[in-house]
Amino acid sequence: MEGVYALCVGILTTCGFFLVLRARTFTVVIGLTLISYAVNLFLFASGRLKLDGAAVLGQSAEYADPLPQALVLTAIVIGFAMTAFVVILAMRSRADLGNDHVDGQVPEDVIAQQTKVSASDKRNG
Amino acid sequence: MQHLPILPILLPMLVAVLMLLPPFTNSINRQRLFAVSAMIILIITSALLLLTSHEQGTQIYILGGWQPPFGIALVADRLSTLMVLLTSVLGLGAQLYACAGEDKEGMYFHPLFMFQIMGVNGAFLTGDIFNLFVFFEVLLIASYALLIHGGGKQKTKANVHYVILNLIGSSIFLFALGILYGTIGSLNIEDMANKVPLLGEHQQALAKAGGLLLLVVFGLKAALLPLHFWLPKTYAAASAPVAALFAIMTKVGIYSILRVHMTIFGEDAGALASIAVPWLWPLAFLTIIMGAIGVLASPSLRLTAANLVIVSVGTLLLAIAMQREAATSAALYYMIHTTLVTGALFMIADLISKQRGKAEDRFVIARKMNHEKLIGIAFFIAALTVVGMPPFSGFIGKILILQAAEGMTEIVWVWPAVLLAGLACLVAISRAGTTIFWRSTGESTSAESISPLKIIAIALLLSASPLLVVFGDPVTDYTNLTAAQLHDRTPANEFTHTGGDQ
Amino acid sequence: MNLLWVVLLPLIGTLVPLLTDRYGRNLCTFSAAILPAWSLALVLMYAGDVFDGQDIRQSIEWIPAMGLDLSFRLDGLSLLFLLLILGIGLLVILYARYYLSAKDSMGQFYAYLILFMSAMVGIVISNNLIQLWMFWELTSISSFLLISFWSHKSEARKGARMALTVTGAGGLALLAGLLLIGSIVDSYDLDTVLANGDLIRSHATYPIALILVLIGAFTKSAQFPFHFWLPHAMAAPTPVSAYLHSATMVKAGIFLMARFYPALAGTDLWFIIVSLTGLTTLLLGAYIALFKHDLKGLLAYSTISHLGLITLLLGLNSELAAVAAVFHIINHAIFKASLFMAAGIIDHESGSRDMRKLNGLLKYMPYTATLAIVAALSMAGVPLLNGFLSKEMFFAETLNQSILGSLSWMIPLLATVGAAFSVAYSLRFIHDVFFNGEPIDLPKTPKEPPRYMKVPVEILVALCLLVGIFPAFVVEDLLNIASSAVLLHASPAYNLAIWHGFNWPLFMSALAMVGGVTIYYNRRLLFQFQSHFEETDAKHVFEGVVQAIVDFSQRIIRFFENGSLQRYAFILILFSLLMAAFPLLDLTQSRGSRPQIPLDGVAVMGAFLMIFSAIATVIWHRKRFIALIFLSVVGLIVSLVFAQFSAPDLALTQLSVEIVTIILLLLALFFLPQSTQKESSYRRMSLDLLVSVLLGCVIGTICFAILTSPLNTISDFFIANSKTGGGGTNVVNVILVDFRGFDTLGEIVVLGIAALGIFKLIAKMRIYIPTRDDKGRPWGNDPHPMMFELVSQSLLPLALLVSVYIFLRGHNMPGGGFIAGLITAVAIIQQYIAHGVLWIKPRVKIDYQWLIAGGILIAMATGLGSWLFDKPFLSTWFDYFDLPWVGEFELASAMLFDLGVYLTVVGAVMLILANLGKLTTSERLEIKENS
Repeated sequence: MEGVYALCVGILTTCGFFLVLRARTFTVVIGLTLISYAVNLFLFASGRLKLDGAAVLGQSAEYADPLPQALVLTAIVIGFAMTAFVVILAMRSRADLGNDHVDGQVPEDVIAQQTKVSASDKRNG
Repeated sequence: MQHLPILPILLPMLVAVLMLLPPFTNSINRQRLFAVSAMIILIITSALLLLTSHEQGTQIYILGGWQPPFGIALVADRLSTLMVLLTSVLGLGAQLYACAGEDKEGMYFHPLFMFQIMGVNGAFLTGDIFNLFVFFEVLLIASYALLIHGGGKQKTKANVHYVILNLIGSSIFLFALGILYGTIGSLNIEDMANKVPLLGEHQQALAKAGGLLLLVVFGLKAALLPLHFWLPKTYAAASAPVAALFAIMTKVGIYSILRVHMTIFGEDAGALASIAVPWLWPLAFLTIIMGAIGVLASPSLRLTAANLVIVSVGTLLLAIAMQREAATSAALYYMIHTTLVTGALFMIADLISKQRGKAEDRFVIARKMNHEKLIGIAFFIAALTVVGMPPFSGFIGKILILQAAEGMTEIVWVWPAVLLAGLACLVAISRAGTTIFWRSTGESTSAESISPLKIIAIALLLSASPLLVVFGDPVTDYTNLTAAQLHDRTPANEFTHTGGDQ
Repeated sequence: MNLLWVVLLPLIGTLVPLLTDRYGRNLCTFSAAILPAWSLALVLMYAGDVFDGQDIRQSIEWIPAMGLDLSFRLDGLSLLFLLLILGIGLLVILYARYYLSAKDSMGQFYAYLILFMSAMVGIVISNNLIQLWMFWELTSISSFLLISFWSHKSEARKGARMALTVTGAGGLALLAGLLLIGSIVDSYDLDTVLANGDLIRSHATYPIALILVLIGAFTKSAQFPFHFWLPHAMAAPTPVSAYLHSATMVKAGIFLMARFYPALAGTDLWFIIVSLTGLTTLLLGAYIALFKHDLKGLLAYSTISHLGLITLLLGLNSELAAVAAVFHIINHAIFKASLFMAAGIIDHESGSRDMRKLNGLLKYMPYTATLAIVAALSMAGVPLLNGFLSKEMFFAETLNQSILGSLSWMIPLLATVGAAFSVAYSLRFIHDVFFNGEPIDLPKTPKEPPRYMKVPVEILVALCLLVGIFPAFVVEDLLNIASSAVLLHASPAYNLAIWHGFNWPLFMSALAMVGGVTIYYNRRLLFQFQSHFEETDAKHVFEGVVQAIVDFSQRIIRFFENGSLQRYAFILILFSLLMAAFPLLDLTQSRGSRPQIPLDGVAVMGAFLMIFSAIATVIWHRKRFIALIFLSVVGLIVSLVFAQFSAPDLALTQLSVEIVTIILLLLALFFLPQSTQKESSYRRMSLDLLVSVLLGCVIGTICFAILTSPLNTISDFFIANSKTGGGGTNVVNVILVDFRGFDTLGEIVVLGIAALGIFKLIAKMRIYIPTRDDKGRPWGNDPHPMMFELVSQSLLPLALLVSVYIFLRGHNMPGGGFIAGLITAVAIIQQYIAHGVLWIKPRVKIDYQWLIAGGILIAMATGLGSWLFDKPFLSTWFDYFDLPWVGEFELASAMLFDLGVYLTVVGAVMLILANLGKLTTSERLEIKENS
């Protein structure tokens, strides 16, 4: 089980960071959200995995480590606040700068490349 | 007075919240009055706290009466109280400056400002590493909101970079915390410090990874090369009072490095002793160089100031990397000096840019300024201070750091780095000054007058420069004691066994 | 502490002229002179003791931590320099009174001048290395202000900057040198340093220290190759040149060498460097001086050359040479000051300094001319004038040295050559200016200056004669004590007579005279020869170099800080990867000893689904809507995972946050492009992929290693104390509201600030409402479907009920304020979606901002409540009560705290979503700044 769990965390991390490295704000936001999932799972894992441990007293003799759970809860909330802010910031930057590129303007080389692509598309279709 | 240690957090928080409610929320003047008076009280409180911890030893405030390491404890020792006091003084300066009008350019300035102060103070005072994360987030989210204060393309643009980079940083912070809890099994910094030497081989490697990841996070805050890229444009874009307040932000990173990597991974952490140092040496050195190059390259005074921040960060971390009491003490003195003066410099840059029309604060020929003499004097003092020329505080900090390096092999690159950076600043700033003040065309057209508040604010921060020289002896005494306290941990970590009042 | 006053008085005096400026020139001048004069008087008071051989030391501690004391000494050398600095300084003040024009701000000028004077005084009476350096830098700064006094002139600004940069760099080198010396003798006290000369000279770092100190001295004293700044400092008003380049600024370097003579001199290294530098400078200066058409230019280079002469003397391996050096310091100061003043008068009265125009001034200003001629002759070293004596000694010393071994004979020869040139340019100064036909189109016809403008010159020239004729009577004592201060013991026997009989020095002087005359007579040839080399203007070279450096740094910065977030993020992630990966290399095997949980099908399915949708999110990230859907799937499974591993609270929270987040993202997507065009190059893609995969592997490995290794943690404490100490059976919730309530407080603050910040963002947002998506399909025109309205309306009370339930049970069962808050918020949002803002506005009359504030306030108040019971912040209280019908129930302060959390969450979420929603409607204009 632990192996699979770790695998999931790893893959979420990978996907998240890859998307964060993209050039458009919305994609970056999605990436950040994925990362926060990974982070929460990771933080949760620091308390080890318990299948049927109780978080509430008196349910069973086995207890899951409650502290990481509390930490993850805090992390989730803060993560939510941050995601919300960055999303609106993305909208604001689109409004102010007229595009949703993370640098506020699309670099020349990219524009050139795109025009080439679109031109080729026209030829094909 | 048993609650003194928590006041620097609760006071700004309370003020901020109250300012969101009637009767303050709709009257900027009430907010100003309230905020400024609160900040003055905060300064007094911080000063009291500093004296208390100075005379009666480290104050530990146990929240909810839950013994550390189980509950969260605030640790008000010499270092944290010093930082808190520094923050509130800088805060007052920035706030006064804002009250001259900047605070009207957007909503929630004063509440956000207070929240920012709360976050910074919390980060300085807390003795619990997850709580440190929480306060990091508080001060970050506040800074995100403050950064766009005033609006404009530049701010939005800079903010996107700043926010995204810091969000990545925060998630790395959490990864690191997960690792540390998963290996050490505790969150209280002192307790962790006690447990780290006892870790097994398997755990050690993991904990080391955690510790180094924390270095990344703090390095990002502190603008340590190669994580400094966000700083120049962000600081240059921020409105003057915000930029001035941000002068403390990099110090939060540096402080955390001092705290975490000198306590948890300090000299007596066994196999994990001072894991950060081998990285700090080269990076701090390169940071200084890069900062100096940036200073030379800066086309405007704001950018110059921003790059000066980077230089100071490099210098500080270089001193910290020395891991000597003398060096740490020197670093602390330098930190006080650089924080306050950089803050003032951002304000001066703002004054200048408001008086020179389109040229703003760029180094080009422009129309004459209105209050040339006044601004000129302020700039002159600030310039001498940051360049490290006598008779102002800069040279003392510099010399202390140079002296601290005596007898180390690293001296062969510490000295050249610090001295040459000083020379670069001298060249750059003398060019800047002569251009801005002397290469003016025609007479000043604008009747743009300077609000006395702004002058008071700048005077307040700049006065630190001569005062730090005149009272150099008491200040250095204090920093020496602080460094001593930091370097031998025995007095501080008693509480994990004794504990406070339950 | 009277010595302190010697420097303090002029320092205070800096302010005086600024205050008296408005009361007219005379008063300003007079008042400016008072305090320096007073300090001079103090010095003279002490002079007696010093002449009796008792030096004076006084000091007070200042910053012991850095070894900086206020420590002063008054010995022969200090006395000599003090007399020069203060004496000539006062003369310059008087002179400037007449030199400055009405336009110049006299107060400012005097302020700078006196500041500079104080700095010089400070240097020469310092008895502490760091204090000395302090004043040293102060001279650089104040000279910068003086040279740039006419700041509207470009050459003044450039000259000043050049001087500041060169001397400033020297200052830094000096600092390093002094610190090294200090660490060698383990004290910054000058006496200690001078006493431990042998220790210093034998120390390994001596060569470095020596070179650093010498760099400091050479830059200040304009020694080759640092001499270039001095001529450009001539852009300053002439009184400044008369002061800086005769007695003070440039002499500071000489003073430094003389001061440290006992500590640093005496090694071959010293002699070679110092003497050769001096010799080169001497020849270079003397040669170039001849070709300068500008009066001040000629004097500037002659200054350089004479400084070279003094340096050379200090570098000659004999004590008498040192004596000669001191002697020449005096003489040069006197005649050079008078010459600069004379040049100033000529400039002032004739409007030009060009020797090609200035001719035959003798008949226009005979009196000034006479003074100038005498001074110039002294500079040339003509008998009966002071310049002659020191030059004789100089020649004598060049003869009995052996530093160049078998080549030593060259030094006297070259010295004579140099002397010949100095005769030549002195001749040129005299002949070109005062004789040689008629003036050529001068701006105004020359005349004698005002009476008192000549007084300083008269005094100085008189000194030239007195010293020249009665040396033994006038200067011998002063020279004795000064040189014994340099040598640290009584100076060797010498005889200050004009006539020593026929000997080599006399022959050399004669030779120099003849040579000088011949050179001047055949100057045409030389000028022709010189004209073949085009003159390089150091100013332009210097500016060019600086500019080049700036451009270079700008290129570097542009290369690194290219403003691309993708690069910065990449570096950040790469750096984290390295930091996390390196320690793992020591980890022999990641699997720890902890027993693992066996796999089951459900888990595998879930894992597969999660992995699939995560990867799908990446693959379809350009189709943003699809990506969003896959993202939400991941989120859902995450909450299932929490549920699976016995964390119900997390599951609930994750679920509710998930919903809100997705609503938020959908709303945002409405304003953002619905798709991303392909733009990253394949190279970037693969690089990014590589790094993120590696980081994923590292994180995964660490996660696995942690999961499989045992842990002893502090958590048992919480389980043990949850009920007894926190009054709740839901340990996680008790941790949140009690054990670590402070975190939660911070967390809701973060939420609140985020809401405020977002409102701030929305308030100034001027974004257009897309009417159709980017495929051109129009957005649905029926925003509020009937069906939906009814359902959601009927759902509202239910939802609120649920949230109340969740809230109340929170302390003992999974739930709590946060989840309850989100549920409430979602319920209200649903109303917004269903009915639209217009319908809601009259019905919901809550200011969400107050809700946030109130929530935080309540939470805080709960914490503060414990103060009443003298408990620390956030100490909790709880008790059980029994009511009829209700049965036993619990009241806990933690519940109040949780209420705060609840309100904040509702307020924050609503503030965000409601206003964001408004953007889509006509209500958008309603969003206004309320401050």
